[in-house]
This record gives sequence, C-alpha cells and structure tokens, in this order.
Amino acid sequence: MLTIILRSIIIYIVVLFLFRIMGKRQLGQMQPFELVLTLIIADLATIPMAEIGVPVLHGIIPLLTLVILHFILTLLCRISAKFSMLVSGKPVIIINPKGIDYKSLKKLNISIDDVFEAMRGLGYFSLDQVEYAIMETNGKLSVLSKSSVSPVTNENLKIHVAPSVVPINIVSEGRIMKDNLKEAHVSEEFIIDFLHKKISNKAKVKDVLVMTIDKNGLVYLQMMKGESQIFKNVRRVA
Amino acid sequence: MKIFSRVVIFLIFLLLIFFCVLEDALSSSALQDLQNDCARIEQLSLEKDNLRDIGLTLAVDTLEYNWTANESNLCYLVNHKSIQEVGVEISKLKVYQSENDVKEFKASLEAVKFYAHSYRHFMGANLHNVI
Repeated sequence: MLTIILRSIIIYIVVLFLFRIMGKRQLGQMQPFELVLTLIIADLATIPMAEIGVPVLHGIIPLLTLVILHFILTLLCRISAKFSMLVSGKPVIIINPKGIDYKSLKKLNISIDDVFEAMRGLGYFSLDQVEYAIMETNGKLSVLSKSSVSPVTNENLKIHVAPSVVPINIVSEGRIMKDNLKEAHVSEEFIIDFLHKKISNKAKVKDVLVMTIDKNGLVYLQMMKGESQIFKNVRRVA
Repeated sequence: MKIFSRVVIFLIFLLLIFFCVLEDALSSSALQDLQNDCARIEQLSLEKDNLRDIGLTLAVDTLEYNWTANESNLCYLVNHKSIQEVGVEISKLKVYQSENDVKEFKASLEAVKFYAHSYRHFMGANLHNVI
C-alpha cells in the first residue's frame, strides 16, 4: 500500500511539473495535438501507479518523451505556418453574410444543431444576429454579430470615460498578499491603518475576507462578518 | 520562464539519453554475466561426476549471487514480472543439485541459458522491440 501511495505522489508531481512546463494553454484552449497528448499522459500516468511490478520509470520516461515531442511540435508550428496548419488545421468560416456554408459544415463533420448550440452558448439565439461565425482550430466557435444588433459602446456614443484599471487583491481571507503590495504601491501599515480608520480600532487583518485597491484609489473591502463596502479616492499613505 | 522551460526541456532530453544508455549497459552486462556463469556451471558439471561437488556448488552460488545483484538493478528499468523466471529457475537448479538429479539439473540450466538469450529480445534497444 505504501508503495502505491509513494508511486502516486511521484507520478502526480511529475505530471504536474510537466503540465507547468508545457504551458497554460494545456488547461484551456487545446489544439488537436495537445488534446491527444493530454489523453495519453492521463493514461500513461495511471499504469505505474497501480502496477507495482512496472518500474516508475516506465511511466515517467514516456511522459518525458511526449513533453520533448510536444516542445518540438510547438516549435515547428511557430516556425512554419504550413506545418501548423497540417497539425492543428485552420479556422473555417461556417456562417458568412450569405448564410450558412453547408460545404464547410460537412467538411468539419458538424451539424446545424451543433452550430446552433455553440451560438446559443455565446448568447446568439437567431441566425439573423450573426454576420460571421468561425470554427476555430481548438473547436470553439467565434461569432461576429451584425452591426445592427451589436451592443452600443462608449465610442459609438462619443462618451469619454476613465481608462479601465485592474483592482489588485491586497488581502484575501485574512492574509496580506505580500507579492501584490508592491504592485499596488501600498504597505502593510497602510492596510492596518485603513482598517482602524474605516472599520474600527479593533479591526484586524485576519477579520478581512477580501480587500482590493485599484490605480484610481478605489478600495473594495469586505470583512468576514458584514457586507462589502466601497471607498473612493483613497490616498495610499500609511 | 521561457529560458527555464528550454533549459528543462534540454535536461529532460539528456536524462532520456542517459536512461537509454543505462538500460542498455545494465541489461547487456547482467545477461552477459548470466551466460558466463551458466557456461562455467555447464563446464564444471561435465567435468564432475557428482553435482554436490564443492566447486560446482560455489559456481551455482555465484550464479545466484550475481543474478540477485543484477536483478535488483534491472528492476528499476525493466518490468519485474518479465525477469523473475530466472530467479525461480536458479532456485530449482539448487534443489536439483542438492538431490544430485543430473537430468533435471541440466534441464534447469538449459532453461536459465534460454532466458539469458531470450531476454535480449525485450531488454535494451532493438528493432524487434520497437516494432
């Protein structure tokens, strides 16, 4: 039993490490060859875990070989567009202003119902809302809506708005996110002082559920007990 | 991160080469030892009338000792179940020797020699294994 536990830990660490060096794309939008790789890795990893007679290396070596292969394929795809097209295919327009391209649908081996399902997933329930629909190489549908049904933007209305800023999480579940403090240009003293001033003198960091701050000085704060509060134009000094 | 990944990929590549060479070297040496030990036992069994002879006993003990040492190293690289027959056959060999059963002793020795030859087909790199 102990052997199986130790083997499982080793394989788990190796697989986790391999997925990290293969890049984050593995976890999300996978190309066909990446999907194949993921399926094989999942299968290979289980063999030495359960079979004690099989050396752990018999599981690890194919995994390492696949990583090398993946690296070479990715490199070749980056160098040559033709090779990339050969391995991953190319995006196909399945709806154009003239309507559905039935030939493309047949080539992709997908039905009209599949197209409708993918469209509904993107929030388009009618074909007349869609100008173009493109089937991407990772199997996802991208839709360009007709300008008549596109949402109105600030640019359309010629309204000037402040640039969007990303709020930085500085406290999460009672812990100060030290790595984010520098990015947010605040110190630990600032957080403690802010809590004392805005909440109470007895307020502590460990009682904070979440606290974020953005470039414009907008602070979002929620204590473990209580509702969220928003503070505008906060000066970042302790 | 990009440089780190490339360095890791390169190290993995070197590691794979190292394991391939190690497997080939270990398996070749282990099987060669096994064949040499078997040849020595065969030679001694032809020379001696009694299988309980001290020289022959020592040769069989050497065979067992060498194989046990090599087997434990090979287990890191080869499926343990695939190579366990030799150990079983050596145990039988020792029993037949203590009983002075020449016929069974020779049969058992032939079996060990056969395994030493046939294991070469699945250990190390060769076209048969690949295909």
